[in-house]
Amino acid sequence: MPLRVTVDHDLCVGNGQCVFLAPEVFRHNENRQSEAVDPAGAPRERVLQAASSCPTGAIAVVDATTDETLFP
Amino acid sequence: MASSEVAAAADPEDLFAPEVIADPYTYFGRLRETDPVHWNPRAEMWVLTRHEDLVWLLRHHELFSSAVISTDRRPPHPPIDAADGPLFEEVRAFRSDQLVEKDRPPHQSMRAAVHEYFTPQAMEAWRPFVRRAVAELLDEAEPQGRMDVLEALAAPLPVRVITQMMGVPEEDRDHLRDLADKLLYINRGEPDRMRHLMEGIDGMIEYVSPRVDERAESPADDFISVLAQAENDGVFTRHQVLVNTALLLFAGHETTMNLICNGTLAFIRNPGEWERLRADPEGAVRLATEECLRFDPPVKSTQRIAAEDVERRGKVIRKGDRLRWFMAAANRDPRAFEDPDRFDVGRQPNTHVSFGAGIHYCLGASLARVEGQEVFRALAERFAELRLETEELEYSPSVQFRSLTSLPVAWD
Repeated sequence: MPLRVTVDHDLCVGNGQCVFLAPEVFRHNENRQSEAVDPAGAPRERVLQAASSCPTGAIAVVDATTDETLFP
Repeated sequence: MASSEVAAAADPEDLFAPEVIADPYTYFGRLRETDPVHWNPRAEMWVLTRHEDLVWLLRHHELFSSAVISTDRRPPHPPIDAADGPLFEEVRAFRSDQLVEKDRPPHQSMRAAVHEYFTPQAMEAWRPFVRRAVAELLDEAEPQGRMDVLEALAAPLPVRVITQMMGVPEEDRDHLRDLADKLLYINRGEPDRMRHLMEGIDGMIEYVSPRVDERAESPADDFISVLAQAENDGVFTRHQVLVNTALLLFAGHETTMNLICNGTLAFIRNPGEWERLRADPEGAVRLATEECLRFDPPVKSTQRIAAEDVERRGKVIRKGDRLRWFMAAANRDPRAFEDPDRFDVGRQPNTHVSFGAGIHYCLGASLARVEGQEVFRALAERFAELRLETEELEYSPSVQFRSLTSLPVAWD
Protein backbone atom coordinates (compact mmCIF):
# COMPACT_ATOMS: atom_id res chain seq x y z
CA MET A 1 0.00 0.00 0.00
CA PRO A 2 1.67 3.22 -1.14
CA LEU A 3 2.09 6.18 1.18
CA ARG A 4 1.81 9.89 0.57
CA VAL A 5 4.34 11.81 2.66
CA THR A 6 4.39 15.61 2.96
CA VAL A 7 6.66 18.00 4.82
CA ASP A 8 5.25 21.37 5.91
CA HIS A 9 8.00 23.87 5.16
CA ASP A 10 6.50 26.49 7.48
CA LEU A 11 7.32 24.07 10.28
CA CYS A 12 10.43 22.19 9.15
CA VAL A 13 13.53 23.51 10.94
CA GLY A 14 16.00 21.14 9.32
CA ASN A 15 16.66 19.17 12.49
CA GLY A 16 17.32 16.13 10.35
CA GLN A 17 15.76 13.35 12.43
CA CYS A 18 13.77 12.09 9.44
CA VAL A 19 16.84 12.11 7.20
CA PHE A 20 18.71 10.22 9.91
CA LEU A 21 15.98 7.61 10.47
CA ALA A 22 14.82 7.12 6.88
CA PRO A 23 17.49 8.46 4.52
CA GLU A 24 15.92 6.66 1.55
CA VAL A 25 12.69 8.60 2.03
CA PHE A 26 13.76 12.04 3.22
CA ARG A 27 16.47 14.33 1.97
CA HIS A 28 17.46 17.90 2.81
CA ASN A 29 17.00 20.40 0.01
CA GLU A 30 19.37 23.32 -0.57
CA ASN A 31 17.62 25.28 2.22
CA ARG A 32 18.32 22.37 4.56
CA GLN A 33 14.63 21.64 4.83
CA SER A 34 13.39 18.09 4.51
CA GLU A 35 11.68 16.75 1.40
CA ALA A 36 10.04 13.39 0.91
CA VAL A 37 11.82 12.14 -2.20
CA ASP A 38 10.69 8.51 -2.15
CA PRO A 39 7.77 7.54 0.12
CA ALA A 40 8.27 3.89 -0.88
CA GLY A 41 11.98 3.92 -0.06
CA ALA A 42 11.63 2.43 3.43
CA PRO A 43 9.22 0.14 5.28
CA ARG A 44 6.04 1.88 6.42
CA GLU A 45 6.96 1.50 10.13
CA ARG A 46 10.17 3.39 9.61
CA VAL A 47 8.43 6.20 7.67
CA LEU A 48 5.94 6.52 10.52
CA GLN A 49 8.75 6.47 13.07
CA ALA A 50 10.48 9.27 11.18
CA ALA A 51 7.24 11.27 11.06
CA SER A 52 6.52 10.86 14.76
CA SER A 53 10.13 11.71 15.53
CA CYS A 54 10.00 15.14 13.92
CA PRO A 55 10.56 17.71 16.69
CA THR A 56 8.20 20.21 15.06
CA GLY A 57 5.56 17.78 13.80
CA ALA A 58 6.15 18.90 10.21
CA ILE A 59 5.63 15.50 8.56
CA ALA A 60 2.26 14.05 7.57
CA VAL A 61 1.74 10.51 6.31
CA VAL A 62 -1.36 9.43 4.40
CA ASP A 63 -2.29 6.06 2.91
CA ALA A 64 -2.37 6.95 -0.78
CA THR A 65 -4.94 4.26 -1.61
CA THR A 66 -7.52 4.96 1.06
CA ASP A 67 -6.64 8.61 1.90
CA GLU A 68 -6.53 7.55 5.53
CA THR A 69 -4.29 9.75 7.71
CA LEU A 70 -1.66 7.57 9.37
CA PHE A 71 0.22 10.42 11.08
CA PRO A 72 -0.39 12.67 12.95
CA MET B 1 29.56 56.71 41.04
CA ALA B 2 33.12 56.63 39.71
CA SER B 3 33.62 58.29 36.36
CA SER B 4 34.87 55.04 34.79
CA GLU B 5 31.49 53.45 35.56
CA VAL B 6 29.69 56.30 33.86
CA ALA B 7 31.90 55.85 30.82
CA ALA B 8 31.27 52.10 30.82
CA ALA B 9 27.52 52.56 31.00
CA ALA B 10 27.62 54.91 28.04
CA ASP B 11 29.62 52.49 25.84
CA PRO B 12 27.35 51.71 22.89
CA GLU B 13 28.89 48.23 22.64
CA ASP B 14 28.09 47.28 26.25
CA LEU B 15 25.64 44.38 25.99
CA PHE B 16 25.21 44.43 29.77
CA ALA B 17 24.24 48.13 29.90
CA PRO B 18 21.13 48.51 32.10
CA GLU B 19 19.07 50.00 29.27
CA VAL B 20 19.97 47.09 26.95
CA ILE B 21 19.11 44.53 29.64
CA ALA B 22 15.80 46.33 30.33
CA ASP B 23 14.87 46.64 26.64
CA PRO B 24 16.88 44.52 24.21
CA TYR B 25 14.45 45.18 21.37
CA THR B 26 15.44 48.79 20.72
CA TYR B 27 19.19 48.19 20.81
CA PHE B 28 19.30 44.94 18.82
CA GLY B 29 16.48 46.11 16.53
CA ARG B 30 18.64 49.09 15.57
CA LEU B 31 21.59 46.77 14.85
CA ARG B 32 19.32 44.55 12.75
CA GLU B 33 18.40 47.51 10.55
CA THR B 34 21.81 49.25 10.36
CA ASP B 35 24.48 46.55 10.72
CA PRO B 36 22.98 43.04 10.77
CA VAL B 37 26.38 41.31 10.90
CA HIS B 38 28.03 43.48 13.54
CA TRP B 39 31.46 43.12 15.16
CA ASN B 40 31.28 44.02 18.84
CA PRO B 41 34.86 44.92 19.83
CA ARG B 42 34.13 45.02 23.55
CA ALA B 43 32.76 41.46 23.72
CA GLU B 44 35.01 40.38 20.81
CA MET B 45 32.25 38.67 18.90
CA TRP B 46 29.91 39.00 15.93
CA VAL B 47 26.32 39.95 16.68
CA LEU B 48 23.75 38.60 14.20
CA THR B 49 20.22 39.92 14.29
CA ARG B 50 18.30 39.23 11.03
CA HIS B 51 15.85 36.33 10.79
CA GLU B 52 17.23 35.20 7.44
CA ASP B 53 20.81 35.23 8.76
CA LEU B 54 19.93 33.22 11.87
CA VAL B 55 18.20 30.52 9.84
CA TRP B 56 21.22 30.42 7.51
CA LEU B 57 23.68 30.17 10.40
CA LEU B 58 21.69 27.49 12.22
CA ARG B 59 21.32 25.28 9.18
CA HIS B 60 25.06 25.44 8.47
CA HIS B 61 26.34 23.57 11.48
CA GLU B 62 29.45 22.57 9.49
CA LEU B 63 30.44 26.27 9.27
CA PHE B 64 29.46 27.27 12.79
CA SER B 65 30.56 24.97 15.56
CA SER B 66 28.61 24.62 18.80
CA ALA B 67 31.77 23.71 20.72
CA VAL B 68 32.21 27.29 21.89
CA ILE B 69 33.19 26.63 25.50
CA SER B 70 35.76 23.96 24.65
CA THR B 71 37.25 25.71 21.59
CA ASP B 72 37.37 29.31 22.73
CA ARG B 73 40.45 30.01 24.87
CA ARG B 74 39.61 33.65 25.63
CA PRO B 75 39.05 34.65 29.26
CA PRO B 76 35.47 34.75 30.52
CA HIS B 77 33.40 37.79 29.63
CA PRO B 78 32.42 39.70 31.69
CA PRO B 79 35.49 39.10 33.92
CA ILE B 80 35.30 36.81 36.94
CA ASP B 81 37.00 37.15 40.32
CA ALA B 82 40.75 36.65 39.81
CA ALA B 83 40.94 33.79 42.32
CA ASP B 84 38.28 31.81 40.44
CA GLY B 85 40.42 30.96 37.41
CA PRO B 86 40.77 27.27 38.35
CA LEU B 87 37.00 27.06 38.90
CA PHE B 88 36.48 28.44 35.40
CA GLU B 89 38.59 25.57 34.01
CA GLU B 90 36.50 23.04 35.94
CA VAL B 91 33.30 24.61 34.66
CA ARG B 92 34.73 24.59 31.15
CA ALA B 93 35.50 20.85 31.37
CA PHE B 94 32.00 20.18 32.65
CA ARG B 95 30.20 22.26 30.03
CA SER B 96 32.29 20.85 27.19
CA ASP B 97 30.50 17.53 27.62
CA GLN B 98 27.03 19.04 27.23
CA LEU B 99 25.05 17.86 24.23
CA VAL B 100 24.58 21.50 23.19
CA GLU B 101 28.40 21.84 22.92
CA LYS B 102 28.80 18.88 20.55
CA ASP B 103 29.27 18.89 16.80
CA ARG B 104 28.75 16.09 14.35
CA PRO B 105 29.56 13.27 14.19
CA PRO B 106 29.26 12.61 17.98
CA HIS B 107 26.29 14.95 18.28
CA GLN B 108 24.18 12.83 15.96
CA SER B 109 24.36 9.59 17.94
CA MET B 110 24.10 11.41 21.28
CA ARG B 111 21.04 13.32 20.17
CA ALA B 112 19.49 10.19 18.68
CA ALA B 113 19.84 8.46 22.07
CA VAL B 114 17.73 11.07 23.87
CA HIS B 115 15.54 12.30 21.02
CA GLU B 116 12.79 9.72 21.33
CA TYR B 117 12.10 10.74 24.92
CA PHE B 118 11.24 14.31 23.86
CA THR B 119 9.18 13.98 20.67
CA PRO B 120 5.93 15.98 20.42
CA GLN B 121 3.99 12.75 20.86
CA ALA B 122 5.95 11.67 23.92
CA MET B 123 5.55 15.10 25.55
CA GLU B 124 1.79 15.09 24.90
CA ALA B 125 1.63 12.18 27.35
CA TRP B 126 2.96 14.55 30.04
CA ARG B 127 0.13 17.05 29.55
CA PRO B 128 -2.12 15.59 32.30
CA PHE B 129 0.76 15.72 34.81
CA VAL B 130 1.56 19.31 33.84
CA ARG B 131 -2.12 20.29 34.02
CA ARG B 132 -2.41 18.84 37.52
CA ALA B 133 0.77 20.56 38.69
CA VAL B 134 -0.44 23.94 37.35
CA ALA B 135 -3.81 23.46 39.05
CA GLU B 136 -2.16 22.61 42.38
CA LEU B 137 0.11 25.66 42.27
CA LEU B 138 -2.75 27.98 41.30
CA ASP B 139 -5.10 26.49 43.91
CA GLU B 140 -2.55 27.56 46.50
CA ALA B 141 -2.13 31.06 45.11
CA GLU B 142 -5.70 31.96 44.13
CA PRO B 143 -7.24 32.60 47.60
CA GLN B 144 -4.45 35.08 48.38
CA GLY B 145 -5.57 37.53 45.71
CA ARG B 146 -2.00 38.08 44.55
CA MET B 147 1.19 36.21 43.67
CA ASP B 148 4.67 36.61 42.38
CA VAL B 149 4.20 34.67 39.14
CA LEU B 150 7.87 33.67 39.25
CA GLU B 151 7.88 32.31 42.81
CA ALA B 152 4.40 30.80 42.88
CA LEU B 153 4.19 29.27 39.41
CA ALA B 154 6.96 29.80 36.87
CA ALA B 155 9.89 28.56 38.98
CA PRO B 156 8.31 25.56 40.75
CA LEU B 157 6.47 24.14 37.72
CA PRO B 158 9.43 23.17 35.51
CA VAL B 159 11.38 21.77 38.48
CA ARG B 160 8.38 19.59 39.37
CA VAL B 161 8.15 18.31 35.80
CA ILE B 162 11.87 17.72 35.34
CA THR B 163 12.38 16.01 38.70
CA GLN B 164 9.44 13.73 37.80
CA MET B 165 11.14 12.97 34.48
CA MET B 166 14.35 12.23 36.33
CA GLY B 167 12.48 9.90 38.65
CA VAL B 168 13.43 11.91 41.73
CA PRO B 169 11.35 11.31 44.87
CA GLU B 170 9.16 14.19 45.98
CA GLU B 171 11.12 14.85 49.19
CA ASP B 172 14.27 15.61 47.15
CA ARG B 173 12.57 18.26 45.01
CA ASP B 174 13.63 21.21 47.16
CA HIS B 175 17.24 20.08 47.10
CA LEU B 176 17.12 19.81 43.30
CA ARG B 177 15.51 23.21 43.02
CA ASP B 178 18.29 24.65 45.13
CA LEU B 179 20.85 23.07 42.78
CA ALA B 180 18.92 24.30 39.75
CA ASP B 181 19.07 27.85 41.13
CA LYS B 182 22.86 27.59 41.39
CA LEU B 183 23.16 26.25 37.86
CA LEU B 184 21.35 29.38 36.68
CA TYR B 185 24.60 31.32 37.15
CA ILE B 186 25.91 29.61 34.03
CA ASN B 187 25.43 32.63 31.77
CA ARG B 188 25.24 35.51 34.18
CA GLY B 189 27.55 38.48 34.50
CA GLU B 190 28.36 38.58 38.23
CA PRO B 191 32.12 38.32 39.00
CA ASP B 192 31.52 35.61 41.66
CA ARG B 193 29.32 33.47 39.42
CA MET B 194 31.83 30.59 39.07
CA ARG B 195 31.55 29.71 42.77
CA HIS B 196 27.75 29.38 42.71
CA LEU B 197 27.90 27.47 39.48
CA MET B 198 30.52 25.01 40.74
CA GLU B 199 28.44 24.34 43.86
CA GLY B 200 25.51 23.51 41.60
CA ILE B 201 27.63 21.26 39.38
CA ASP B 202 29.24 19.40 42.30
CA GLY B 203 25.86 19.01 43.98
CA MET B 204 24.32 17.57 40.81
CA ILE B 205 27.15 15.09 40.29
CA GLU B 206 26.92 13.98 43.89
CA TYR B 207 23.15 13.58 43.68
CA VAL B 208 22.90 11.95 40.28
CA SER B 209 25.87 9.50 40.36
CA PRO B 210 24.31 6.85 42.62
CA ARG B 211 21.03 7.13 40.70
CA VAL B 212 22.78 6.41 37.41
CA ASP B 213 24.30 3.28 38.99
CA GLU B 214 20.81 2.22 40.08
CA ARG B 215 19.22 2.80 36.69
CA ALA B 216 22.03 1.05 34.85
CA GLU B 217 21.20 -2.04 36.97
CA SER B 218 17.43 -1.76 36.83
CA PRO B 219 16.13 0.61 34.15
CA ALA B 220 12.86 2.48 34.70
CA ASP B 221 10.95 4.76 32.31
CA ASP B 222 12.72 7.94 33.44
CA PHE B 223 15.25 10.16 31.71
CA ILE B 224 18.23 8.96 33.76
CA SER B 225 17.48 5.42 32.55
CA VAL B 226 17.59 6.66 28.96
CA LEU B 227 21.06 8.11 29.56
CA ALA B 228 22.22 5.06 31.52
CA GLN B 229 21.16 2.89 28.57
CA ALA B 230 23.08 5.18 26.21
CA GLU B 231 26.13 4.70 28.43
CA ASN B 232 25.71 0.93 28.18
CA ASP B 233 25.51 1.32 24.40
CA GLY B 234 28.77 3.27 24.40
CA VAL B 235 27.17 6.50 23.14
CA PHE B 236 27.69 8.49 26.36
CA THR B 237 30.55 8.33 28.85
CA ARG B 238 29.64 8.40 32.54
CA HIS B 239 30.78 12.00 32.74
CA GLN B 240 28.50 12.87 29.83
CA VAL B 241 25.57 11.14 31.53
CA LEU B 242 26.07 13.29 34.64
CA VAL B 243 26.66 16.49 32.71
CA ASN B 244 23.61 16.03 30.53
CA THR B 245 21.33 15.19 33.42
CA ALA B 246 22.39 18.51 34.92
CA LEU B 247 21.83 20.12 31.53
CA LEU B 248 18.27 18.84 31.49
CA LEU B 249 17.59 20.39 34.88
CA PHE B 250 19.24 23.65 33.92
CA ALA B 251 17.97 23.97 30.36
CA GLY B 252 14.39 23.16 31.23
CA HIS B 253 14.27 25.44 34.23
CA GLU B 254 15.07 29.07 33.47
CA THR B 255 13.78 28.88 29.89
CA THR B 256 10.34 27.67 30.99
CA MET B 257 10.33 30.17 33.83
CA ASN B 258 10.91 32.96 31.32
CA LEU B 259 8.28 31.71 28.90
CA ILE B 260 5.69 31.81 31.68
CA CYS B 261 6.72 35.20 33.12
CA ASN B 262 7.34 36.99 29.83
CA GLY B 263 4.15 35.59 28.31
CA THR B 264 2.05 36.56 31.32
CA LEU B 265 3.53 40.06 31.20
CA ALA B 266 2.72 40.36 27.48
CA PHE B 267 -0.90 39.42 28.21
CA ILE B 268 -1.12 41.97 31.03
CA ARG B 269 0.22 44.71 28.78
CA ASN B 270 -2.11 43.74 25.92
CA PRO B 271 -5.56 43.34 27.50
CA GLY B 272 -7.24 42.96 24.12
CA GLU B 273 -5.14 39.87 23.40
CA TRP B 274 -5.92 38.53 26.88
CA GLU B 275 -9.61 38.85 25.99
CA ARG B 276 -9.03 36.93 22.75
CA LEU B 277 -7.43 34.08 24.70
CA ARG B 278 -10.13 34.18 27.36
CA ALA B 279 -12.85 33.88 24.75
CA ASP B 280 -11.59 30.38 23.88
CA PRO B 281 -8.69 29.29 26.10
CA GLU B 282 -8.62 25.71 24.86
CA GLY B 283 -8.79 26.61 21.18
CA ALA B 284 -6.60 29.73 21.14
CA VAL B 285 -3.79 28.70 23.48
CA ARG B 286 -1.54 26.92 20.99
CA LEU B 287 -1.07 29.88 18.68
CA ALA B 288 -1.04 32.26 21.65
CA THR B 289 1.85 30.33 23.23
CA GLU B 290 3.80 30.52 19.96
CA GLU B 291 3.27 34.28 19.98
CA CYS B 292 4.53 34.50 23.58
CA LEU B 293 7.61 32.59 22.45
CA ARG B 294 8.15 35.00 19.55
CA PHE B 295 7.30 38.30 21.16
CA ASP B 296 9.52 38.17 24.26
CA PRO B 297 11.55 34.96 23.93
CA PRO B 298 12.92 33.13 27.01
CA VAL B 299 16.38 33.04 25.43
CA LYS B 300 17.55 36.28 23.84
CA SER B 301 20.66 34.89 22.20
CA THR B 302 22.97 31.89 21.90
CA GLN B 303 26.46 31.45 20.52
CA ARG B 304 28.55 29.61 17.95
CA ILE B 305 32.18 29.69 16.89
CA ALA B 306 33.22 29.82 13.23
CA ALA B 307 34.73 26.53 12.03
CA GLU B 308 36.13 28.18 8.89
CA ASP B 309 36.33 31.60 7.23
CA VAL B 310 32.86 32.66 6.06
CA GLU B 311 31.63 35.79 4.30
CA ARG B 312 28.20 37.26 5.03
CA ARG B 313 26.83 40.65 3.99
CA GLY B 314 30.29 41.81 2.99
CA LYS B 315 31.86 40.94 6.35
CA VAL B 316 34.52 38.28 6.70
CA ILE B 317 34.00 36.05 9.73
CA ARG B 318 37.29 34.33 10.53
CA LYS B 319 37.72 30.78 11.74
CA GLY B 320 37.70 30.89 15.55
CA ASP B 321 35.58 34.06 15.74
CA ARG B 322 32.68 33.89 18.17
CA LEU B 323 29.16 34.72 17.00
CA ARG B 324 26.13 35.53 19.09
CA TRP B 325 22.78 35.30 17.34
CA PHE B 326 19.84 37.16 18.78
CA MET B 327 16.49 35.49 18.37
CA ALA B 328 15.05 38.45 20.29
CA ALA B 329 15.93 40.65 17.29
CA ALA B 330 15.17 38.10 14.55
CA ASN B 331 11.71 37.47 16.01
CA ARG B 332 10.93 41.17 15.44
CA ASP B 333 12.38 41.29 11.91
CA PRO B 334 9.86 43.08 9.67
CA ARG B 335 11.16 41.04 6.70
CA ALA B 336 9.85 37.87 8.39
CA PHE B 337 6.83 39.10 10.39
CA GLU B 338 4.04 41.53 9.61
CA ASP B 339 3.72 44.26 12.22
CA PRO B 340 6.44 42.52 14.29
CA ASP B 341 6.22 44.70 17.41
CA ARG B 342 2.55 43.85 17.83
CA PHE B 343 1.65 41.02 20.23
CA ASP B 344 -0.93 39.10 18.17
CA VAL B 345 -2.14 35.84 19.74
CA GLY B 346 -3.64 34.66 16.45
CA ARG B 347 -0.44 35.09 14.40
CA GLN B 348 -0.04 32.35 11.80
CA PRO B 349 2.30 31.25 10.40
CA ASN B 350 4.68 32.13 13.20
CA THR B 351 8.19 31.18 12.16
CA HIS B 352 9.92 32.43 15.31
CA VAL B 353 13.41 31.12 16.04
CA SER B 354 13.00 30.98 19.81
CA PHE B 355 13.90 27.27 19.82
CA GLY B 356 16.65 27.73 17.26
CA ALA B 357 16.68 25.60 14.10
CA GLY B 358 18.74 22.85 12.50
CA ILE B 359 20.47 19.98 14.27
CA HIS B 360 20.49 21.71 17.68
CA TYR B 361 16.80 22.68 17.61
CA CYS B 362 15.71 22.77 21.25
CA LEU B 363 15.31 19.19 22.46
CA GLY B 364 12.76 20.31 25.04
CA ALA B 365 10.66 22.44 22.69
CA SER B 366 7.61 20.18 22.87
CA LEU B 367 7.79 20.07 26.66
CA ALA B 368 8.10 23.86 26.87
CA ARG B 369 5.06 24.18 24.60
CA VAL B 370 2.97 21.86 26.76
CA GLU B 371 3.99 23.75 29.91
CA GLY B 372 3.33 27.17 28.38
CA GLN B 373 -0.01 26.10 26.94
CA GLU B 374 -1.20 24.61 30.20
CA VAL B 375 -0.18 27.68 32.20
CA PHE B 376 -1.75 30.27 29.88
CA ARG B 377 -4.91 28.21 29.49
CA ALA B 378 -5.30 27.84 33.26
CA LEU B 379 -4.63 31.54 33.90
CA ALA B 380 -7.17 32.53 31.24
CA GLU B 381 -9.79 30.21 32.72
CA ARG B 382 -9.28 31.49 36.25
CA PHE B 383 -8.57 35.20 36.01
CA ALA B 384 -10.64 37.80 34.19
CA GLU B 385 -7.92 40.35 34.75
CA LEU B 386 -4.38 40.30 36.14
CA ARG B 387 -2.88 43.58 37.36
CA LEU B 388 0.77 44.40 37.80
CA GLU B 389 1.52 45.37 41.40
CA THR B 390 4.51 47.42 40.27
CA GLU B 391 5.83 48.93 37.06
CA GLU B 392 9.40 48.55 38.41
CA LEU B 393 10.25 45.24 36.77
CA GLU B 394 13.84 44.05 36.62
CA TYR B 395 15.66 41.60 34.41
CA SER B 396 18.71 39.49 35.32
CA PRO B 397 22.00 40.83 33.93
CA SER B 398 22.35 38.18 31.20
CA VAL B 399 22.99 38.46 27.47
CA GLN B 400 21.57 35.00 26.94
CA PHE B 401 18.40 34.92 29.01
CA ARG B 402 15.43 37.25 29.22
CA SER B 403 14.70 36.63 32.88
CA LEU B 404 12.44 38.74 35.07
CA THR B 405 13.57 38.75 38.70
CA SER B 406 9.95 38.84 39.89
CA LEU B 407 6.47 39.42 38.48
CA PRO B 408 4.04 40.46 41.23
CA VAL B 409 0.41 40.43 40.07
CA ALA B 410 -2.99 40.80 41.74
CA TRP B 411 -6.61 40.03 40.83
CA ASP B 412 -10.09 40.64 42.21
